[in-house]
Amino acid sequence: MADRNHNLALAGMLALEMAVFSFTGAQFLTVGNAFEIARLSVELGLLSLALTPVIVTGGIDLSVGSLLALVAVTFGKLWRDGGLPLGWAVVAALVVGLAGGGLNALLIARFELPPLIVTLGTYSMFRGIAEGLTGGADNFSNFPPRFLFLGQGSFLGFVPPQTLIFAAAAVGFAWLLHRTVIGRGWYAIGHAPAAARYGAVPVGRRLALAYLLSGAASAVAALIYVAHVGQAKSDAGTGYELLAITAVVLGGTSIFGGVGTIGGTLLGLFSIVVLEGGLRLSALPSELTGILTGVLLLAAIGASSLAGRIPARFPMRRVAIAGGVLAIAGGVWLFVAMRPRGGPGVRRLVIAVMPKAKGDPYFVSCRVGAEEAAAALHADLIWDGPTSMDPARQNEVIEGWITRRVDAIAVAVANDVAISTVLRKARANHIPVVTWDADAEPDARDYFVDQATAQGIGYALTDEAARLLGGHGSFAIITGALTAANQNEWIRFIRERIAAKYPGVTLTAVRPSDDDRDKAFAETQTLMKVYPDVKVILAISAPSVPGAAEAVKQSGRGDVKVTGLSLPNMCKPYVHAGIVGSVVLWNTRDLGYLAVYAADALARGTLKAGAARLHAGRLGVVQIQGTDIILGPPLVFTKANIDRYDF
Amino acid sequence: MRREASVAIAWAALLIVLAFAAPGFFSAGNLRDLLLANVSTLLAASGMTLVILAGEIDISIGSMFAVLAVIAGLIARAGAPMPLAALTAAGAGALLGAANGGLVAGMRMPSIVVTLATMILWRNALNWATGGAWIENLPSNFQWFGLGQTAGEVFILTVAAVLVVALGWVLKNIAAARAVYATGAGAESARLAGIPVRRVVFWVFVWMGAMTGLAAVLDAVRFREVQSNAGVGLELKAIAAVVVGGASITGGRGTLLGTGLGVGLLASIGPALTFLHISPSWEKAIQGAIILASVVIDFARGAEARKNG
Repeated sequence: MADRNHNLALAGMLALEMAVFSFTGAQFLTVGNAFEIARLSVELGLLSLALTPVIVTGGIDLSVGSLLALVAVTFGKLWRDGGLPLGWAVVAALVVGLAGGGLNALLIARFELPPLIVTLGTYSMFRGIAEGLTGGADNFSNFPPRFLFLGQGSFLGFVPPQTLIFAAAAVGFAWLLHRTVIGRGWYAIGHAPAAARYGAVPVGRRLALAYLLSGAASAVAALIYVAHVGQAKSDAGTGYELLAITAVVLGGTSIFGGVGTIGGTLLGLFSIVVLEGGLRLSALPSELTGILTGVLLLAAIGASSLAGRIPARFPMRRVAIAGGVLAIAGGVWLFVAMRPRGGPGVRRLVIAVMPKAKGDPYFVSCRVGAEEAAAALHADLIWDGPTSMDPARQNEVIEGWITRRVDAIAVAVANDVAISTVLRKARANHIPVVTWDADAEPDARDYFVDQATAQGIGYALTDEAARLLGGHGSFAIITGALTAANQNEWIRFIRERIAAKYPGVTLTAVRPSDDDRDKAFAETQTLMKVYPDVKVILAISAPSVPGAAEAVKQSGRGDVKVTGLSLPNMCKPYVHAGIVGSVVLWNTRDLGYLAVYAADALARGTLKAGAARLHAGRLGVVQIQGTDIILGPPLVFTKANIDRYDF
Repeated sequence: MRREASVAIAWAALLIVLAFAAPGFFSAGNLRDLLLANVSTLLAASGMTLVILAGEIDISIGSMFAVLAVIAGLIARAGAPMPLAALTAAGAGALLGAANGGLVAGMRMPSIVVTLATMILWRNALNWATGGAWIENLPSNFQWFGLGQTAGEVFILTVAAVLVVALGWVLKNIAAARAVYATGAGAESARLAGIPVRRVVFWVFVWMGAMTGLAAVLDAVRFREVQSNAGVGLELKAIAAVVVGGASITGGRGTLLGTGLGVGLLASIGPALTFLHISPSWEKAIQGAIILASVVIDFARGAEARKNG
């Protein structure tokens, strides 16, 4: 009965979420939005469905997100490089998924190793193979339209095709878990494996099936993901395992096994997805989703664990009501927190601006300029973007903005192929689109605020490295994540520039920092020992310059210099100490400022196609070449000028 | 000892390959850098050993690590002396740990769910509060506790070594610590034997939090600024080290020596690949394969032992 109580409480919370968001979120309660939310939840949903039997048996599968990435890149590679017809590539993808699930099944069911350890290992291994196969950088796109239809199209104008697959999978899993001998076997194993064995349940085979199905579901989710995002890359599905486990556990499945339903999982999934979508439409920061998800999880599990311990006569309803009251309080607070601030009757433009990653110090600094511009223009600024590396996140946020009908969108594009589809959709809905920092495909936006081309950056960085080397010697690169699209583009131009202009200079190694200062530090330390002849470290992600510089400083190697692309404030001490020779960057504040001005001018209609200049507040008149709004050349910060900048 | 031997063999094999292929790995400078870089993992993993011994798990430590480093930085920037900043971070860590422990032991909620929730919560709250900005302009006595680089390094390594050795001794010899083993081996029988099982679980989480706080401070003082996104994936590193080191994930079995070996093995892989000139894009795959190999080796040796015994 605890099950049903839990589901009722959860259904109540879900209803409440929807009630609150229908007030706070523009366009929340529309058919279109319902299907958009459904579309976004399919990949996660498939993983959650498959994890339910796994967790019911008392196991866990941490490898689903990584397996999704592995299937996605093998599918892309077989189709593009292997020349396999699409149909066969799909079959091969399913085989890879089953093989991955099979490896887990073998180790867990046959060798009886603990699922947590096994799938922790395969979690790392599957994504590792995906990165190894592609070098992290390679990605696959330009899939034929009939395949992309699966992820982006719709039947009858509004039913996304992948939701039909999801519905079929939900029915299939529900039938298997609740209506068959196999399902009863899973519950028996979760309650007590030994007892299940005595009860003639073929424990090994049942367990194996659960992990095989999980592999198969990851494969199907991978195909849908690729069709949805339009590209396959090794960072697909990062972090999905935790989201899926959260949905399952929130849905009342006991992490100890033996208890859980598919219906509960669906409720858990929708609670999370609706929360995320609703907060987005209410223009609340995405961190709040995480915070509320955490609270929701604690409240739900706390309530059912209380219910389990308290004698049956204790009215369970009280717990549910307490939960509801809490949720209402939260909802009201939300409502108050996000009331429009403008005076009555004044229609303020809503300009939505997206960085590549919210926590990146580079974009934190762009935001200051964006806010300055919004204040000057009396516009409402929505600043939101991914907090993780997953490339699908940017698309999801923009989907939300389209539904919400913001007045203009400005995006720092993390992945041009993936995002262009959704940007075209925005334009089709008469929302002007500006790209900044990095461009999308030209027909997917009105203007590009161009701070510097990838070529310009790559060449400038190479020139600085070569200058510090005195035209001769070897250098190494510390990049962001190996999968970072921007950095990979720069590295390509760095190699090109060396080949063309600097015969005496060699690029010895490229090491990742994952945008973590500490990792950049450790990688630089090792680099200096392995390659003693490397005299310049070229660090090309903002946090990695201070990391590399600190490593050089602590090593006492006076002969090694650091240069790269970073924020002046972070690097000042090292520039003054002479460890960092120079830092290349444009004025990030002005970049954010200009992006908002351009978006605003488009929304007001003062900036039209074919314009030659733009009046941008304190920046004065800015030149436009074609569809590129030019910020100006990159700055090179040295000891002489760095103190004049504060960002 | 069987399990520790499996890890030791795997680690020794890696080191032997390195001894032939890249003797530079064993230079004093490299070993010092490796030790320093892994102090935080080692401390986190020794806290995690206790948690796993007690039959629980804590996946919130990576997020806690970031929060606590920022707290230490803020306090230092406010002008407080460094020992106070360090103690506050450890204390705040103990509080965060007490929140986990309270929910697990008091409310009897499963630890993986509780710490999954707090993991998401702390990380998002921190991102929201800092907006991704670093804690900059720290006073000069922040880096190396104001001791200078060499003395600071010695100090950090000494603190870590003393803590881990003392914890190892306590785990072997003190009754209160043996209660952790008893709790993990069988909570019900432990309770019947008079062990306050829930209190043990609570304090294990508090200890985990305090260790995370210390780890965060000892890691942060190696730099001039505190970054606000530290510790992503620390929980997985620590858990992997503990289980590779032979602890049973269901509790009751494991040693700190095994954990130390596990940290050593996993910490060597990344730099080893650089020394061997292997592309970094294969690093995760190799790391995963080694985790799997170490559990499978152990399984195979167990099967051997069962056959011969």
